[in-house]
Amino acid sequence: MIRPLLAAFLVIAAATPKCGGSSSSPDGTTMPTNFQSIVVNAGPANNYLNGLFTSVTLCVPGQSSCQTIDGVLVDTGSSGLRILASALTLALPPQTDVGGAPIAECFSFLDGYTWGGVQSADIKLGGEQASGVPVQVIGSGGLPAIPPACANSGTSENTLATLGANGVLGVGLFRQDCGPGCVGIGASNPGLYYSCPSSGCQTIAQPLARQLQNPVWLFPTDNNGVVIQLPSVAAGGAVTSTGMMAFGIGTQSDNALGSAKVLTVDASGNLSTTYGGQTYSGSYLDSGTNGIYFLDSRTTGLPICTVNTDFYCPTTTQAQSATFRGVNATTIPVTFNVGNADALNGRFNAFSEVAGPNPGAFAWGLSFFFGRTIYTAIEGQATPGGVGPYFAF
Amino acid sequence: MVRTPSTRLARALLLPLMLTVVPSNAFAALGGSVTSVDADRVHVQGALMRIVRNDTFALHEIRSASGTMIREYVNGSGTVFAVAWDGPWLPDLRQVLGDHFDRYQAAMRARQSAKTGRGVVAINDGGLVVQMSGHPRAFTGRAYVPALMPAGVQPESLR
Repeated sequence: MIRPLLAAFLVIAAATPKCGGSSSSPDGTTMPTNFQSIVVNAGPANNYLNGLFTSVTLCVPGQSSCQTIDGVLVDTGSSGLRILASALTLALPPQTDVGGAPIAECFSFLDGYTWGGVQSADIKLGGEQASGVPVQVIGSGGLPAIPPACANSGTSENTLATLGANGVLGVGLFRQDCGPGCVGIGASNPGLYYSCPSSGCQTIAQPLARQLQNPVWLFPTDNNGVVIQLPSVAAGGAVTSTGMMAFGIGTQSDNALGSAKVLTVDASGNLSTTYGGQTYSGSYLDSGTNGIYFLDSRTTGLPICTVNTDFYCPTTTQAQSATFRGVNATTIPVTFNVGNADALNGRFNAFSEVAGPNPGAFAWGLSFFFGRTIYTAIEGQATPGGVGPYFAF
Repeated sequence: MVRTPSTRLARALLLPLMLTVVPSNAFAALGGSVTSVDADRVHVQGALMRIVRNDTFALHEIRSASGTMIREYVNGSGTVFAVAWDGPWLPDLRQVLGDHFDRYQAAMRARQSAKTGRGVVAINDGGLVVQMSGHPRAFTGRAYVPALMPAGVQPESLR
């Protein structure tokens, strides 16, 4: 099923290919410039399963010197733009401390960390722009050795081969990547940000405005969240799947909540899922996670694969049902399929039935996004469905 | 450093156990001796919240200064057989995984070379199990050594 947002884009793209920027349609109404294309494919390293990618334009702040980088992972599970230094040809001004030393960041994702300098850029997405935004340039040069506390946090993802993308566009629930925790001085600071004179990097307190920012909340308009819409994929998967990402919720004709129900989240961005009569609180929606990861074989009755042991491998596709439950007590029952991950077509990259174990929790990754329109509202931003943060679908 | 009363109490509680085990690498948790639990607490500048004992293990709960709860499970031989954590940021994995960190990294590198995109972490090489879920601001995980697990302990209960 193609819903209004995607349908509107397809009509516009077909009928008025020059539409863009702030141009107007023939009837004089302002064209929506709050969206851009997203695609599920193998990604720039040609090895990604269920990776949602888009392109991002970066400019030297206040100047017309710009670069568009594609193959950037769209991630509703984090906030802030990170770009591989190897993909960046633009010279962006580094963020520095009062002594002129460059600021760097060590940012942990679940499966590894990115390390690199914080630099400033104007970020352009669709027809929107966020100006002078701190971004992380992953693997940037001119820094001393990676500090031990960073290297000890896990496994590095500072190259195209290890990241699998040219960057990560964090358009999640929060305004900043770290938030208040990084503002304070002392042991309570988790130590994401570093000042890096040539003598070596030291952790620093980082004010909110100098942290990486979800660029969407800095847009002049359409700044309260994002809408991600992907069409359904056939059973067995597809080579690619193309959808739309709209900026703003309820700000234009193409991003209305409609019949979507709002699920508010807790302070860390989690909600609950009920399955088989049990409720699991550590649940989340995340376009940057490839599959639906939930519970374990004993609870679900689904066998683990023998080859791809991160996934479930039922001999035939199994229909599953569960119920989302927001902190606001709103519930949404859903059904989803779990297929045999060892039997996936190796030429395909987009699958709605890829799922795996995750004892005691639900991680609703990209498999769940196909055939749905999913809203991510940013903390502190007003929307017709209430103030963020929340998810809605 | 200011020692809180609960820390002193914890030390008093730990003393009998410490006398019966040979202290090994102080910078170790999983697979290390019970003394390494306190090394972890110092490392994260955290507070020992409580120690819970039952017939099969002792659970030491440490809250790091940055808000992540770390739970270390000690078997009857005084060896940490499991660690679990939840909080806004990952713990120092080299610290909490101890001698098993290199094994963890090798398994993650193997995942990367066979990359199928980002998912939750589920490592089981027979000798070490690591399971991690979550996202920035909400990470959970557990790691355990099956060979060190007391009989009757369910992995799902380690959290």
